Amino acid sequence: MRLLLSGAVLGALIVAGSPASAADAAHGKTLYTACLACHTEKPDALGPSLKGVVGRKSAALEDFRYSAAMQRANLTWDEKNLSDYLKDPQGKVKGNRMPFSGFGNDKDTADVVAYLVTLK
Amino acid sequence: MVTKLKEVDCVVIGQGLTGVMLAKELTMAGLERGADRKPEEEVVLPRIRDELKYNARKELMVDNSIDTITFRNSSDQTALPIRRWGAFLPGEGVGGTTNHWGGLHWRFLPTDYRIKSTVTERYGAKVIPADMTIEDWPVSYDEMEPFYDKFDKLCGVSGKAGNLKGQKIDGGNIFEGPRTNEYPNPPLKTSAGALLLADACKNVGFHPFPVPFSAPSRPYTNIYGVTLGSCEYCGFCGRTSCEANAKATSATNVMPVLRREDKYTLKTRAFVSKILYDRQAKKVTGVTYTDMKTGEEYEQPAGMVILSAFVFSNTHMMLYSGIGEPYDPKTGKGVVGKNLCYQFEAGATAFFEGKVLNPFMGSPGDRIAFDDFNGENFDHSGLGFLGGGYIVGGSGSAPPIGGRDVPEGTPSWGSEWKKQTVKWYYGSADFNTQGSVYANRANYLDIDPTYKDAIGRPLLRMTYNGTDNDHKMSLYLLSKLEVAIKAMNPTSYELRRRPKNFTVVPYQSTHNTGGTMMGTNPTNSVVNRYQQAWDASNLFILGASTFPQQHGYNPTGPLGALAYWTADKIVNEYIKKPGPLVQA
Repeated sequence: MRLLLSGAVLGALIVAGSPASAADAAHGKTLYTACLACHTEKPDALGPSLKGVVGRKSAALEDFRYSAAMQRANLTWDEKNLSDYLKDPQGKVKGNRMPFSGFGNDKDTADVVAYLVTLK
Repeated sequence: MVTKLKEVDCVVIGQGLTGVMLAKELTMAGLERGADRKPEEEVVLPRIRDELKYNARKELMVDNSIDTITFRNSSDQTALPIRRWGAFLPGEGVGGTTNHWGGLHWRFLPTDYRIKSTVTERYGAKVIPADMTIEDWPVSYDEMEPFYDKFDKLCGVSGKAGNLKGQKIDGGNIFEGPRTNEYPNPPLKTSAGALLLADACKNVGFHPFPVPFSAPSRPYTNIYGVTLGSCEYCGFCGRTSCEANAKATSATNVMPVLRREDKYTLKTRAFVSKILYDRQAKKVTGVTYTDMKTGEEYEQPAGMVILSAFVFSNTHMMLYSGIGEPYDPKTGKGVVGKNLCYQFEAGATAFFEGKVLNPFMGSPGDRIAFDDFNGENFDHSGLGFLGGGYIVGGSGSAPPIGGRDVPEGTPSWGSEWKKQTVKWYYGSADFNTQGSVYANRANYLDIDPTYKDAIGRPLLRMTYNGTDNDHKMSLYLLSKLEVAIKAMNPTSYELRRRPKNFTVVPYQSTHNTGGTMMGTNPTNSVVNRYQQAWDASNLFILGASTFPQQHGYNPTGPLGALAYWTADKIVNEYIKKPGPLVQA
C-alpha cells in the first residue's frame, strides 16, 4: 500500500500547485497497476494492448477477440470517451467483458487517461 | 504397440497446483491428462459466469466417462462407481483443482503437526480410540513456516495476521502459529452478514477474524513476477476460474512464466496409466501414457518422477504400478491406501427478515471465522472426542441459480417457493463448521475388483464412512456455532447435522486426504518427510495424499507449503546427490 499512498500524496501536492484541470500522469501510472494483470502487452494477455490506445477506434486490434458489445460500440478512444469508459465501464459500453468496475472518481480517471496518453 | 520416447530428466504427472509449482522450481516435462487451460481463451466474460455449465454440469472437473472411483461405506458392502461427481470435485486440465477452488488459504496449527503426541501429553494415550490411526507429521510447523510464507507470496494471499513472530494481534487469528511476515495483502472487504457474525462473536467471547483468502485485495506482483489483479467480488469462485486474474490458480500465477521456459515441455491429453518400477533397484524408470486424442500409447523414460495428481490418482497410481505395500484393514498392515480422510462439515443458515445483506456479490474471502474450537485450541477433557474445526459465516457470493436460501419446509418449486425466495434472498446468511477427520482404520483406498476406466485399468475403490468421533466433534462445533448465531438475533435459523452415513452427494468439500501418507519409516508411511517414496528414491509424491490425517482447515495451504519444502530439498540436495533423503 505504501506505493499507492505515496503516489496519492504526490498527486495531491501537484494538484495543489497547478490548475485544477491538470491531470497527473505519474499518479495515473500508479493507479494503472490495477490494469496490469490483464493488459500485460504479452501474447497471452487477457486484455488488449493499450499502446497507442488514445485516438484508436474501439475494437480495432485484429489479434484480440472483443466482446460483441465492444464491437458494436463504434467509439473513438479520445480522452473524453476513455474517461467516461474508465469511470464506469458498464455505463459507457453496456455488456462489455472487462472485469473492472471503474475508477469511480473524476480525478483518478483523468490521471489514468493522462498516463494512457503517454503509452505509445 | 507402445512407442518409446527419448529419456527426460524428470516427468511430472498432473499439471495441477503442486505439479506446476514443482515444474517451475525444477523445470521439466509436465504430463496432464486433461485439457490445457489458457485464461486468455477460456476465462472470459460472460461465459465464465455460466452457472449451468460450470456449477451444475461441472465443466472443469475430471470427466467421469473416462475415469472415476467406486465407493462403499464399509468393507462388507459392494462398491459402485460414482458416475457423476457430487460430494467432492477433483479438477482436470492445467491448473487442476485450483481452477475452481474457493480460495480459502490456511495454515495448520503447530499442534496439528504433532497431534498424536499433543493429545497423549494432555489427556493420556487412552483417550485415542483403538481404531483411530492418527500420527504425528514427520515435519513441524516451524520447518514449514518459510514455505508457507513463500506459498503466500506466490498466491498474493489476503488476510490479517494474528500471530506475528509470537506477538498476538487482535483482529487476526490469535490461535494461528507464529508467522514471519504479515499476509502479502490486507483482508478483503467483509460481507454484511459476516459483519453481523463478527459482532456476535465478540459479544459471546469468541475471537473473530477475516478468513485468509488466496486472491489479492489490491493489484499484486508475485514471486515469479506475474501481476495478479485484485478481487472483483463477483461471487463465482467456487466452481469457475477468475476472469479478473485474481484468485490463485496455477494457470495464471505460474503458467505464464513457466510456458516461456525452454526446459519445460507441456503435454496435455496425456493420460499417465502407470509408473514403471524396478523393484530390485528400488527406482522408477519412467511412465506409460495414452494420448487421449489418438489412443496411442507411449513410454516416457525418466530419471525422476513427480507424482502430483489428485489424492485418488496418486494412490491409484501407486497401487496399480505395484509400488509399496497395499494397506489391509483387517491386519492394519501395509500403507498404500491407508488413512483416507476428509473434511467433516456441518452447516447452518440464518434468516433476517428485512435486513439487506447483499448476497449477489462477494467472495469466499468476505467471510468471518473463529478458531476457538479447532484442533487443540480448546480443552477436550471430558468431551468424548478429539479434533475440531474453524467456524465461518457470511452472506456474499450467492450465485443466481444456486444461491437462494429459503427456510426449511418451503416447497422446492412453484409460486410459494418464488414468494419465499423473494422474501429471504437479501436476508439470509450461511455458516459452516470445517471439522477435522482423524484417521480411522476402516477408511481406506484400494483397487476395485469389478469396474475399469476408459483405458482399461481397474478403478480405485473408496471405503469410507463418518466415525463416532467425527459426529461428536461435529455436534460440538454446531453447538458453538448456534451460540454465535443466537447472538446475531436472527428471525429464524437452521442447523444442518451430517447424516449418519457418508454419501457421495451432495457437495461437501474436495478436501479428500491420505492414501500415500508421510511418516517416519516405511512401516508407517508411503513417503518420508520430504515426500520421497520409501520404495523408490527417485519418486516424489505431492498433494494432500501425503497427509497422515485431515485437520480442521482447507488443505491447500499446507499442501502448497509442503510442495515448496520438497522442491527446496530436491534442488539443494537431491539433484546434487540422488538417493534416499532419509535412511529407512
